[in-house]
Amino acid sequence: MLLEKIIESIDLELVTGDVEGKEIKKGYTSDLLSEVMASGNSDIWITVQSHSNIVAVATIIGVKAIVLVNGREYTQDTMDKAKEEDICLLRSKQDAFVITGKIYAMLQG
Amino acid sequence: MKATVDKLIDQMQLLFKDLLARDIMISNVITISSDRTMEQAKELMRLKKISGLPVVDDGKLVGLVSIEDIIKALENREIQQPLEKHMSKRLKVISPDANLPKIFEQFTRHGFGRFPVVDKANNLLGIITKEDILRSILEEFRVLYVRDKRMSDVLDGEALNRSLITGEEINKSGADFVFPIDYTEISLSGIGAARLKDFLLNKKDIPEDIVRKIAIATYEAETNVVIHSGNVGTIYCFVHEDYVRIRIEDHGKGISDVEIAMTEGFSTATDQIREMGFGAGMGLPNIQRYSDKMVIVSEVDKGVVLEMQFYKKNSD
Repeated sequence: MLLEKIIESIDLELVTGDVEGKEIKKGYTSDLLSEVMASGNSDIWITVQSHSNIVAVATIIGVKAIVLVNGREYTQDTMDKAKEEDICLLRSKQDAFVITGKIYAMLQG
Repeated sequence: MKATVDKLIDQMQLLFKDLLARDIMISNVITISSDRTMEQAKELMRLKKISGLPVVDDGKLVGLVSIEDIIKALENREIQQPLEKHMSKRLKVISPDANLPKIFEQFTRHGFGRFPVVDKANNLLGIITKEDILRSILEEFRVLYVRDKRMSDVLDGEALNRSLITGEEINKSGADFVFPIDYTEISLSGIGAARLKDFLLNKKDIPEDIVRKIAIATYEAETNVVIHSGNVGTIYCFVHEDYVRIRIEDHGKGISDVEIAMTEGFSTATDQIREMGFGAGMGLPNIQRYSDKMVIVSEVDKGVVLEMQFYKKNSD
């Protein structure tokens, strides 16, 4: 499924990054960086972590988009690094449970 | 009561009078350079849970930032200012040859929590806190540490230039990829692993999923250096015909029990670091899971050497 469609359907805020042509097949939800690492390859990652290290984690395992939940804000450093690495940064006021459920339903549907 | 304690201390001092500052001090000191701000000093002290930060320029001790200095700067809204303006410059130092009675005298006379140890040219050699004194005394009694001779051989000697896995000689200056790990900035952790991933993908002869395994294991090792070692480290990568070898070395605090550290869920990370999503106790287990071979050698206060090997082809 295209990232564009997910953003539109569940009303995510696009903070930075190029959405076009990004195909999403798998997702992962966790705030523990090592756990995300161990999960292998996911295309979209739902978390409450906003510091710049999440970009390093995303880059290494090939995550294309990060969804920051609970209305949290990315640091400037995170946004700068994400641009460099071509990773889409998204936001939502809703919590991880709700967002995960919605994206999961879309990917399954 | 006090008289008894004083007498006891006198006797103890006599017993340990040959214990010198150079034996007691911690030599891998976390330091900061004078061109940083008080804010940066505060963050470093918070993350590393330390109450005093020596300011060092080109190896020379130029000042000390204490919690009191930080509080003062916060109260006066000067936390963003360069720390050179706020650090303590009139320092009481200890020479490396000072013995235990002399060191005690300094602590009693000035009432400070810590003393930098400097040589005659004012180069910072280490730092001594009361805890360090206690630790050294206990160590003298051989109570705390049981040392493994083989480990110190690896970390001290010529063996540092040999592979831990195969024993063959390693020429680190001939590494295909080298990355120095900056331990002072936790948000920079993982950059080395990300660069390594790009480097290996550009080689085009290693499958993408293997490159990912290498990057994940390297990320964990890099993060361990940043969070735990309190010192600089280096990532070396050697690309061989059939396999890739990664070696990560640091000169930090070391691991007192590798077996426990390998246990999933075990972590010594501070709460602040855990809140950032690190320190889940999965670092070393992840490294073991993703590498085809791994050897880790460490001794307290001597650092950690981790070597991993990855085959270029999938085993199945």
